[in-house]
Amino acid sequence: MYAAVMSEATIGPYSMSKAPEDPAVLLSRISGGRDKAALASLFHMFAPRIKSMMLKLGADPALAEDLVQETLLAVWRKAHLYSPDRGAAATWIFTIARNLRIDHLRRQTNRPYTDVDDIEIASDDPSSSALAERSQVVSRVTEALQTLPPEQQEVVRLSFIQDIAHAEISERLGIPLGTVKSRLRLAYDRLRPILEDLQ
Amino acid sequence: MTFAHHPDIATLMAFSAGTLDEAFALVVSAHVSICDQCRHKVRGMAAIGGALLQSETGIDVSEGLLDSLLQAADEVEPEAPEALPETVDLRVPVPLARYVGRGLDAVRWRFSGPGVWTAELPVGRNANSRLLLLKVAAGRKVPEHSHGGQELTLILQGAYRDRFGRFGAGDLADHDEDVEHQPIAEPGDDCICLVALDAPLSFRGRIVRALQPLIGL
Repeated sequence: MYAAVMSEATIGPYSMSKAPEDPAVLLSRISGGRDKAALASLFHMFAPRIKSMMLKLGADPALAEDLVQETLLAVWRKAHLYSPDRGAAATWIFTIARNLRIDHLRRQTNRPYTDVDDIEIASDDPSSSALAERSQVVSRVTEALQTLPPEQQEVVRLSFIQDIAHAEISERLGIPLGTVKSRLRLAYDRLRPILEDLQ
Repeated sequence: MTFAHHPDIATLMAFSAGTLDEAFALVVSAHVSICDQCRHKVRGMAAIGGALLQSETGIDVSEGLLDSLLQAADEVEPEAPEALPETVDLRVPVPLARYVGRGLDAVRWRFSGPGVWTAELPVGRNANSRLLLLKVAAGRKVPEHSHGGQELTLILQGAYRDRFGRFGAGDLADHDEDVEHQPIAEPGDDCICLVALDAPLSFRGRIVRALQPLIGL
C-alpha cells in the first residue's frame, strides 16, 4: 500500500522535496523537534481562517481568538498524533477546531469524535492509507466544491463552516428538511471519487 | 466489519461537520467505530471541512496573539492519546462504553409495556436529544409508530425485522420523521437497541396513545 502511494506521489507535483510551507511538513517539525518556528508558520497560515470560521458561528471576537489560540495549542500538543496517511493537514486542523467548537460553543461533549479518532489510530486498517499523504486532496476538494451548484455549496458550507444542524438549515432557507438532505447527498455523490479516493 | 444498514449519507455528513446533537453523535460514532466502510466515508468527508477552512478569507488576529501562543506552547506537554474505555461487554461499542461502563447486563431496565423495557441514558445538560436503550423480548412487536423527528437506532444484540428489512447487531436504522414502521424482534435473543431521539414518538391509535406515557418513549 505504501509503495503504491509512493509511486503515485512521484509522478505528481509533490515529487520534489516538499515546499517548506507544506503544513504536513510543519507538523512533522513540531512532533520531531518541538519547532516553534513551524508553529508560528502554521499560525500565520491558519489563525486568520480559524478566526473567520469561529466568528461565523456567532463567537464574539475575543472568544473567536481564544478558540484560535486553543486550536493551535492543541495542534502543538497533538502534532505527534497526526499522520499524513490519515488525511491532509488542513483537514486534521479542521477536525480539531470542530471538536473545540462542539466543546465550547455548543457545550457538548466531543468524546464521540475523539473516540472514533483514537479507534482509527489503534485499528490501523489498510483503508486508512488510501487517502494518503496528499495535501493536494484539499485543493482537489476545493475545486470540486466550486463546481457544485450554488444551492449545494450553500448547504455544505452552512453545515461544515457555520455549524448549523440540518433542521435549522431547513428553517433558515425555507426549504423542506428532505431537500437539505438530498442536496447534501448530491454534493457527496459529486465529491465522492475524491473523498473516498476512488479515482 | 461490514453491515447491511448504515446511516444515511446526510447523517454521516452532519456527523463529520459536527452538527449532530449529543445522542445522535453518540449513536453514529458507535456504529462508525465498528463499521470500516462508514469510518472510511467519515474520514473522507472531513476533507470537505479542511477544504472549506483552507479557502476561508482570513480575518486579522490581534497583534499579541502569536506571542501568547508561543508562550503557552512552552508551558504545555505533548498530549498522550487518551485511553479508550476498557471493553467489559463485547456488545457495547467503545464510544457507548462511556455511557454504560458496566455493560448491558448491569442496565436497570424499566418496564415499558408488554415485552418492552427501556433505560434512559444520561446526556449532557445542553443536549436537545435523548439517548435510550430499548429491549424488546424475542418475537415481540414494538407498537407501530411514526416519528416526531429523526430517530437513529443501533442494534446491539438480537435482531428485528420491519418493512425495511432485517436489522442485526451493528446495523443502524436511520429514520426521518415521515417514516412509519413496526419492528418485530426475531426469535432467539431479546433485541437490545441504542436509540437517539429528538422528539417524543407518536403512536398510532387511541389505546396505544393512552399507553404512551407508560411506554415512556
